[in-house]
Amino acid sequence: MSGAHILCRTLAEAGVDVLFGYPGGAIMPFYHALPETPSLRHILVRHEQAAAHAADGYARASGRVGVCVATSGPGATNLVTGLATAHMDSSPVVAITGQVSRPMIGRDAFQETDIIGITLPITKKSYLVQDAAELADVVRDAIAVAQQGRPGPVLIDVPKDVQNQKVEYQPADDPRAAARGQSLTVGGSPGILEEDIRRAADLIAAAQRPLLMVGHGVILANAYAEVRALAERTGMPVITTLLGISAFPEGHPLHLGMPGMHGEVLVNRAIQRADLIVAIGLRFDDRVTGNLAAFAPRAQIVHVDLDRSEIGRNVPTAIGIVGDAADVTGRLVTATQPRSCEAWRAEIEAGRRPRDASFSGGMSPEAILAAIHDATGGVCTIVTDVGQHQMWVAKLFPYRRPNTHITSGGLGTMGFAVPAAMGVHLARPQETVWAISGDGGFQMNMAEMATMVQEGLTVKLGIFNNGYLGMVRQWQQFFHGKRYSSTPIWSPDYVKLAEAYGIPGYRVQRASELADAVGQANAAPGPTLVEFVIEQEANVFPMIPPGGSLAEPIEAAV
Amino acid sequence: MTTLHAVDVLLDDTLLTLNRAVGVLRRRNLAVEQFAVHPCGSAGAARMTFVLNTDAATADRVVQQFHKIVGVRAVEVTTTRDPITEEQP
Repeated sequence: MSGAHILCRTLAEAGVDVLFGYPGGAIMPFYHALPETPSLRHILVRHEQAAAHAADGYARASGRVGVCVATSGPGATNLVTGLATAHMDSSPVVAITGQVSRPMIGRDAFQETDIIGITLPITKKSYLVQDAAELADVVRDAIAVAQQGRPGPVLIDVPKDVQNQKVEYQPADDPRAAARGQSLTVGGSPGILEEDIRRAADLIAAAQRPLLMVGHGVILANAYAEVRALAERTGMPVITTLLGISAFPEGHPLHLGMPGMHGEVLVNRAIQRADLIVAIGLRFDDRVTGNLAAFAPRAQIVHVDLDRSEIGRNVPTAIGIVGDAADVTGRLVTATQPRSCEAWRAEIEAGRRPRDASFSGGMSPEAILAAIHDATGGVCTIVTDVGQHQMWVAKLFPYRRPNTHITSGGLGTMGFAVPAAMGVHLARPQETVWAISGDGGFQMNMAEMATMVQEGLTVKLGIFNNGYLGMVRQWQQFFHGKRYSSTPIWSPDYVKLAEAYGIPGYRVQRASELADAVGQANAAPGPTLVEFVIEQEANVFPMIPPGGSLAEPIEAAV
Repeated sequence: MTTLHAVDVLLDDTLLTLNRAVGVLRRRNLAVEQFAVHPCGSAGAARMTFVLNTDAATADRVVQQFHKIVGVRAVEVTTTRDPITEEQP
């Protein structure tokens, strides 16, 4: 059996059902073998970056590995942004790249690049396969490594002659190693000290102003029930980070909102007043903490994370517990005594005030997102890009179902939403999927509309068009003397563009048109596009200046 | 307070693992005062030893970062004034 056939067979046996990729010279043996494994559906993207984002979206929505494929050289380097995005957000992606044949490696051959060297800092593990006899075990190991512990991307570089090399296929020694979605390290979180759990429970019992802050780790661990049980047992108000949104239902009486640079004043003020923060599955990113020296000055911190290196890295912790979020939180539920935090919650709520209308006219983010909520009945997954619209969606859409908010958090990758939404759709074919972008991010990967049409992928595309790279313009307004250098951005006629791709397109310029247009776009079969023409110079408020304290938000235009 | 920390890493003796380990030092912008890689007693394993002049918290974070690398088997840190003595001819 050839190396290429082994690749296909091992992927299929591991349960992989979708690949996102783009063929080319050094990966041609793989593509030649691919049709002989019909259980592997290949999605031909229009740019390899989209393949990596789509695999990432698939992984985040399914909880299993997403797989992308590219040829050597430019095909492989085009994956880099997608792999870095997956690495920063702990998403299990396996990238398979063709490489020039072994005798050509190191000779600057046509389309040769050291993709392993290029991706070393953004992969958990990488393999340059030197012998087809190793290939099956490499694929099995890669799939396991991508999912074990803190998930992340893995890269397999396969020289063309290794793909053509004929060897005997080696079945898996350990069938579990090939079982996709199954970690080899099952059975709880070894090493958790019951003493730490008890001490954390004691801190929760003694705190006057405790907060429960949850992040992406809760979603990765499916720890929704445990987190909700802990919150309801202790009465601790709950804060969800950007990647923790939808880990706890919005609208729950204990839910406060998102912290950090664009978090509500109420939430950030609660952090600054808290005497205890129980943080589960998050890493205290600088967008959450602002100035570290001024972050939560009164709070002791209990930090629960699967990654030992995150404990104490950014903020000092009173207790660090290394383990799976569901396991540790479940133990905390058992160890804590029922209590309430009525006085503390009342203190927080006393600071609540109506959100200032930062928009003139009716085309506000609130109105747009309400229209999407009405059209979908709130039953949809929203994939966002990066920028102002990302913050508006994060703050304003009422997420009530787990893992229905998917975005590029750590790397902040513009262009993520459109291709990632294709992966989300394939992971959840029955779910309505909206990809919401700004006019800048949409134009980065809008060619993927062709992929959606060719492959029949039902993604609803929403574009917040303000004619600017809005978040950069906002920073220029606040911190660079309103010099809008290179941020005005021209857009094509999106309705005509949709028409050119053969999909329905709608332009909404007035709030009165929202319900009809969004309703039609949502109900129409297949991909559709809606352009929301919004106010040009609207801002996301509040805003903590970069490096500033959470106690010093900007709440109005300067 | 900064002091000398000798970090001793036992890891797979493969170029990719060694490269990844060195990459952690580079990426974290750490000031390395001494550095050595040498074979160790176990087959397929190498020992990487380096000295950082830093505070204890940073040294501990480095240890945790190395623990994350696939292929790293053990990491130890010791505080000393003269951790690596060159062999005299």
